[in-house]
Amino acid sequence: MEAAAKVLTPQEERIIKGLDKEELTTEEAKNKRQRVNKLLARFRKVPRVDIQRALLFTESFQETESLPVVLRWAKAMENVLNKIEVVINDDELIVGTCGGTGRHSILYPELRGCWLEEGLQRLKEQGAYLVSDEDIKTVKEKIVPYWRGKTAHETYISLLPEETRYLIYGDDNYGASGLMQDNANINATLNWAVDYQKVLEKGFLGIKKDAEEKLNSLDVVDPQNHIQKTPFLKAVIIVCDAMIAFAKRYAELAREMARNEKDKIRKKELERIAEVCEWVPANPARTFHEAVQSQWFTQLGCRLEQPTTGVISNGRIDQYLYPYYKKDLEEGRINEDSALELLECLWLKIADFVPLNATNAKSFWEGYAHFEQTVIGGQTRDGQDATNELSYLILKSKKEFPLHYPDLSVRIHSQTPEPFLREVCELIREGTGFPKLLNDEEIIPHLLAQGATLEDARDYTGCACTEIRMINTSTYMVVGGNINLPAALEMALNDGVLKLKGNKQRLGVTTGDARNFATFDELMNAFRLQVEYLVRHFYIRQTALEMTNAMKLAAPLMSSLHDVCMNELTDIHQPLKGGVSADTGNINLNGFGTAVESLAAIKKLVYDDKKITMNELLEALEANFEGKEALRQMLLNAPKYGNNAPYADQIAREVDAMLLTTARKFKTPNGHQYIKFVPVTSHVGLGVVMGATPNGRKAGEPLSEGISPTQGVDMKGPLSTLLSIDRAKSRKYANSLARLLNIKLSPQVVAGEKGLQDLMSMVRTFCDLKLWHLQFNILNSDILRDAQKNPEKYRNLIVRVAGYSAYFVDLSPQLQNEIINRTEHQHM
Amino acid sequence: MDNDTGSVNHKLGRVFNIQKFSVHDGPGIRDVVFMKGCPLRCLWCCNPESQNTFPEIGYIQNKCIGIQECGYCIKACPKKAITNSTVETPKIDIDRRLCDHCGKCVDVCPARAITLFGQMMSVEDVIKEVQGGNASWRTGGGITVSGGELLLQADFVHDLLKECKKRGIDTAIETSGYGDWRELERICRHCNLIFYDVKCMDSDKHKAFTGVNNEVILDNILKVASQFPETPVIVRTPVIPEFNDSWKDIKAIVEFITQLQNLTEYELMAYHAFGEPKYRQLGRKYRLERVKPPKKEYISDLQQRANAILKKKSYK
Ligand code: SF4
Ligand code: SF4
Repeated sequence: MEAAAKVLTPQEERIIKGLDKEELTTEEAKNKRQRVNKLLARFRKVPRVDIQRALLFTESFQETESLPVVLRWAKAMENVLNKIEVVINDDELIVGTCGGTGRHSILYPELRGCWLEEGLQRLKEQGAYLVSDEDIKTVKEKIVPYWRGKTAHETYISLLPEETRYLIYGDDNYGASGLMQDNANINATLNWAVDYQKVLEKGFLGIKKDAEEKLNSLDVVDPQNHIQKTPFLKAVIIVCDAMIAFAKRYAELAREMARNEKDKIRKKELERIAEVCEWVPANPARTFHEAVQSQWFTQLGCRLEQPTTGVISNGRIDQYLYPYYKKDLEEGRINEDSALELLECLWLKIADFVPLNATNAKSFWEGYAHFEQTVIGGQTRDGQDATNELSYLILKSKKEFPLHYPDLSVRIHSQTPEPFLREVCELIREGTGFPKLLNDEEIIPHLLAQGATLEDARDYTGCACTEIRMINTSTYMVVGGNINLPAALEMALNDGVLKLKGNKQRLGVTTGDARNFATFDELMNAFRLQVEYLVRHFYIRQTALEMTNAMKLAAPLMSSLHDVCMNELTDIHQPLKGGVSADTGNINLNGFGTAVESLAAIKKLVYDDKKITMNELLEALEANFEGKEALRQMLLNAPKYGNNAPYADQIAREVDAMLLTTARKFKTPNGHQYIKFVPVTSHVGLGVVMGATPNGRKAGEPLSEGISPTQGVDMKGPLSTLLSIDRAKSRKYANSLARLLNIKLSPQVVAGEKGLQDLMSMVRTFCDLKLWHLQFNILNSDILRDAQKNPEKYRNLIVRVAGYSAYFVDLSPQLQNEIINRTEHQHM
Repeated sequence: MDNDTGSVNHKLGRVFNIQKFSVHDGPGIRDVVFMKGCPLRCLWCCNPESQNTFPEIGYIQNKCIGIQECGYCIKACPKKAITNSTVETPKIDIDRRLCDHCGKCVDVCPARAITLFGQMMSVEDVIKEVQGGNASWRTGGGITVSGGELLLQADFVHDLLKECKKRGIDTAIETSGYGDWRELERICRHCNLIFYDVKCMDSDKHKAFTGVNNEVILDNILKVASQFPETPVIVRTPVIPEFNDSWKDIKAIVEFITQLQNLTEYELMAYHAFGEPKYRQLGRKYRLERVKPPKKEYISDLQQRANAILKKKSYK
């Protein structure tokens, strides 16, 4: 009962003491890794849009119109890798950039080139990206004209029936209606992690050799070979060569710089860089340094090849780098500090690349969203705990390295060692929102149910936001989109009519006048019909996108590292027979909590207690509760999901079962799609355009996030929230995943040894309950409010938004408020 | 004598709050059950709603949405105890002298501006509420019964704790120790941990600030120590300026408790005024308005000196 004194997280303390410039967070780290500190001091926040990749890619495409798409892609990659600027900056050990010096974004005009015409200008005005007028001019004159009529987005839009298109896009093909929201014009592929280990072990020379052998043994008379396999293998060979040549350009540059370098130490370093780039990624890595460099070249190539959702994942980095770390350590080539230095040089490379997620749909992906999930812990392929010294070292780096890169995930399972969990919780307590937790006990059975082998399932990696991937088995999946569940409920209440941005339109199906629904079940049925209607259109969209991407896109580099593609000898975008399409959920549902609480309030007040009539409710919603505050208060105080109380939790379960069943009613050429609950920040954007909802939410306020209850209604502590989330899982089919859950705790709740133990207990409970994902925000709202008022003081305040961490001051006021309002589970 | 409880225990107790996710009242993450009613009247009490044995209504003015939009409570009150406020327009006033705690206003208040402290709950109800969060029991937590003074509802508390133990739920109590030894003895049998308040060694002063003398309290704690030597006891002292905040006062307590062989910890709890808004909710006056909370450093200095004595007496 005693009032807890205000306890600050280490992050807060650093900010308040004014120690918020970019530098390693401890004196010891600063001394031991001065290089990293120097590189950090030069780190620039606002990214510049670099147009080299777009220009070179376009240049090549203009010359290859007669070739199959996979070969065109390979040649375009070759052109980019041969001509893009190579730069080595002072103090760098790991080298290579997709777009020149400093922080940058690159453009992929093949996807939505026409948007760039006006989009770049707008980005420049908003100030979130630096774009020069000259570059805008070049884009307008040299890039956009070529792509007009040829982009994937235009093909996709043209394959959509008008009804479907209108539901998703409304009046703006580069925006969003608000009822649904599409990510298809941002990214090509839902998510990706490649088999880095293959490159480390074989090198691109080895991969090329495999391709050559396969090419030589192909029977040239077989038409299937002509159409598909030959061009694919040729494309693989081209990109392998291009990757090797690209590294050699770096080797040459390093050698030349070494010749002119006065400083003896730097001269040696440059010579070392030259040797490393001469050897990898062409050949198998021999040292930790080579392994890290080879990994970076590989992911750099992937970044140039295609935009994947939230950029390419680092995969299970503590697993595939470990042999090199161990060997170097044993042979005295490195120690902990020099290994950390190399890893942090890699983190800096990752931080320098910002995926450009902007569209005309505002506030859907805020704060430079990025998900290069870097996964540690979990299990080995034979089911042992996989934690090793490198896992610990990466946790240590995350404590000391100040940028919110890379996105760190820890796989938790029933045998996660206590000391490791302790370190994980210590890191959570730092308050930066890292790491996010993925639960093996839920995810592995999920993958098995989709047909994965036990070994592959155990070897999954986190990918994109809270999704997962088996790097050699999961097939490719096109980018998904969001469905606004509270909007479906509004249509169920209004006979298919929805008010978006203040305009009423009949967007849904006719389900009758809600005033005539005699029972709650009738309302649930109308809701189901509206959802089904949206899901149906979602599938139409999905098929159009699968068709588009098979016609328009290729990824020879990423395909060359995928077992299924190399067995079937076809690009990942083509239909594949092998592999498991247990991919990562395309039907992304937004506002689950808002919808469930709305239904619970209606059931309680209109049907069970008969305190209000349906007519009164509809009038109040229409009036956005103007003059209806008493009614709104009743809605706000109706039973709420998230408190481990059966009334609302049972409705959540029914809705979940309905959603899973509905999702299985339809198919695309790839089969049934999965549902997930990953809002990123779209719950804010979808909320802005929506009217009032029956849970008492006023027009324009954010929807609930992920699978979480509405912001602020879960009042019974995080364990009750966890239990409600568990109850809400209908377990009807294994087709729901990525249930994103965000819990915010005050620092005092986790202070001291006892607080640490309690936090560990919460994580163990999460594991026991088999929930998919969990992330913590440990902050107090006073600090956040102050940060809103004094953004200058809090430039470095990192908060977890949804599956990724971002600078608080980068977020819009609405999203900032939303984060402040998320229940602070604070003990009195 | 223990009554053997059946499978479903319908014995009723008056509970004013069940606090989920408490991390400061015993090991792990716990649920704290607050029993209503207390024989003491500590001036600094931060839970004034715990004191009376009867149910009470609390009114949180800033939650009230006003009589223009609502005013339901005025119409609902059979005693005409609720009226338009003359001061805080357009809100309401409650005349506590007319109110008989029937709870009708609570039922109609849409904003939960009016709440009822003190629900009758059965042992089974409480178990359901706390066990509903049964994941917490895997986390080294459990239930802590607090108050008010739980000894006023000893029979109920006894059954509740016994039932918890039967179900493998860890049990702790927080008591002032002011009550019948036989009751306390029955309860302690089902406790894994006891928080026991010792507020002041000077009985007259004790009476002046809490309304009761301290002999029973001191006597009971010695009995707890001798009869339940295996049950850990944590002694707590609220440090209240002008009452017991001198080193002399604290030292006297420390010297007294060194004789407890089951003492595992001694905790000083600094006075704070966070209970003040609750007095307003109940329409009561907070009497320590002028009192300033002691300085953090002062408390930690007292705590260190206390610990030093406890260590010297070869107490861990
Ligand atoms: S509890 Fe009953 S008597 Fe008291 S104010 Fe409310 S309605 Fe009136
Ligand atoms: S019922 Fe509640 S909200 Fe309405 S006037 Fe009374 S106290 Fe205020």
